[in-house]
Amino acid sequence: MFELINTLLIGITAGSIYSLMAISVVLVWRSTRVVNFAAGGLALASSFVGAAILEKTGSFWIALPIAMVAGAVFSAFIEYFFLRPLLKRSGDKGAEIFLPIIATLGLLGIIKTILNYIYGDRVGSLPPPMSDKGFVFSGESIALSPMRLLILGIVLLLMISLTLVFQRTNLGLSLRAASFAPEISRLAGIRVDFIRTVGWAISGGVGATAGILQTTNGSGSVSPESFEFSLLLVFGFVAAVIGGIESLIGAVLGGLTLGIILAIILMYVGGSLVFIAAFLILILVLLLRPHGIIGAKGGRRA
Amino acid sequence: MHKRHVTNKHRFIGFVLIGLLVYILSNTVDEWKSFQGATIAVYVVAIASIILLTGYSGQISLGHGALLAIGAYTAALTQIYLHLPVWICFVAAVLITSLFGAILGLAAARLTGPYLAGTTLALAVGLPSIANQFSFLGGEQGISFDAGWPPLSFGEAFTQYKWFFWITSLTALIMMWWIQNLLRSRYGRTWRAVKTNEVAAELSGIRLARSKVLAFTVSAGIAGMAGALLATTINNVSPSAFPLALSFSLATGAILSGVNTLGGVMIGAVALVAIPEIASLVADRWSGSESVPSLLPDFIVSVLLILTVFLAPKGPIEKFRSRHVK
Repeated sequence: MFELINTLLIGITAGSIYSLMAISVVLVWRSTRVVNFAAGGLALASSFVGAAILEKTGSFWIALPIAMVAGAVFSAFIEYFFLRPLLKRSGDKGAEIFLPIIATLGLLGIIKTILNYIYGDRVGSLPPPMSDKGFVFSGESIALSPMRLLILGIVLLLMISLTLVFQRTNLGLSLRAASFAPEISRLAGIRVDFIRTVGWAISGGVGATAGILQTTNGSGSVSPESFEFSLLLVFGFVAAVIGGIESLIGAVLGGLTLGIILAIILMYVGGSLVFIAAFLILILVLLLRPHGIIGAKGGRRA
Repeated sequence: MHKRHVTNKHRFIGFVLIGLLVYILSNTVDEWKSFQGATIAVYVVAIASIILLTGYSGQISLGHGALLAIGAYTAALTQIYLHLPVWICFVAAVLITSLFGAILGLAAARLTGPYLAGTTLALAVGLPSIANQFSFLGGEQGISFDAGWPPLSFGEAFTQYKWFFWITSLTALIMMWWIQNLLRSRYGRTWRAVKTNEVAAELSGIRLARSKVLAFTVSAGIAGMAGALLATTINNVSPSAFPLALSFSLATGAILSGVNTLGGVMIGAVALVAIPEIASLVADRWSGSESVPSLLPDFIVSVLLILTVFLAPKGPIEKFRSRHVK
């Protein structure tokens, strides 16, 4: 029983970080219909920024916001200089999603080699800012530590603020309108191109948070070839697809489902089956609901 | 300008000429170059399989590395447990991988765009790691696959890598001949119709699901053959031979070749093999720091990828052709 609760707690923490990454993927998809593989590289780059700031100032609370801003700037930069011209060239047909995917894969490769060149074998260190010793309950320590609480808190806070932005502000309305009907929004006076860049920037900030939390929750150090970041990228993307790639709530549900099931498999079945389990979960969900847990049924055909 | 009609006879002559060229090359190059030649042949088959699926049938796959893995493991297991001749192992690899592709295709036919990309990506990450769970798959060390030594009648000087070069390029040529015929057949036309406009294709009496599943099955079969050939060249099948990076570089190769034209397949395959070589030469010349030689290939491939996407999204061949017509 104790073990099961611990497994669930570990799963929820990991899952909430995947959710953040999934949200980052979803935001980009919603604003430009691009599957953004560069998101993983951006999260990695901003985590390095975070680590550098932490080294300079010694405070996690300064490092996190600066890393988020850095992530937003990187992401907006990529949208403005690479994706926007690319999409302009190929025309907003949307049918051809292979090319943008390949472009973001290329960007991921470039970001990784640049980081590799700058950092080489050195690693950036991001130790947990709070104790990661579990609370003690009736003599036994459970998998819930102040650090895990902090992670859950940050994720929750980000999700609530994103929801508020999307539902209650003019910016959120423009973001939703620009992704739903770009032409009509343009006629209604929304600067669609600018709004898209904003969407990418928010996505970059969220991705940076996911990267930093993933590092502090895991080994505490980032390196360009970090395994944790491949996990984050793959599972974040899978979570987004499970949730139906259009919806923020879907991304959260997808991330949590994935995190919990994978933690259970890791605990009770075997570590090497985790990846194939992620595939099976994905295909099971998509066979039942081809557009994800929360996806428009029928949806756009073109 | 009057367009010259290219008949199948011309194409056949072309294939024979390429075969002759490979034969001459194999007699002049050293062992390492033979190995690289064999690798190019493997990439040709693998990239052709992606081009068939993505360029002609319009379905995305980021997980072809996993299909290669299935082919390679099937070939190796057939040899180890059933002791069958090598060519039957190849056939088994194609059959089993097609079967898997059919099952995957049944799921894929219902999916579009990002959903399909996600599914195939998860497959590419997940499948090779199964080998660590079951002992008969050999774990991290993998299992060996031995395509045999060249016949003694070829003489003493005939090296094993040259033999592999022959096997892989002959297979690649036969596969390419078959694929280009298939793409010109009824099935190829059906796939292109479905890719261009699903609704119109459906109205003309094409069964969408069947056409998509068939494309996946055929593509998987070809990928299975590529996997078996890969196992031949490296003598061994292990999870580390099929990382996510392999799937990504195959997709890269497909884009560099021009994903809509089968004819460019050599460009991508040669680029994937030649770029690391050139990069290490360049890095040796101006070795600024130690990390440059190991990083340069990735960097060049990534930059080329983005350049291709920007400058020649339909591939170099199409680009050349369109410039010529104008």
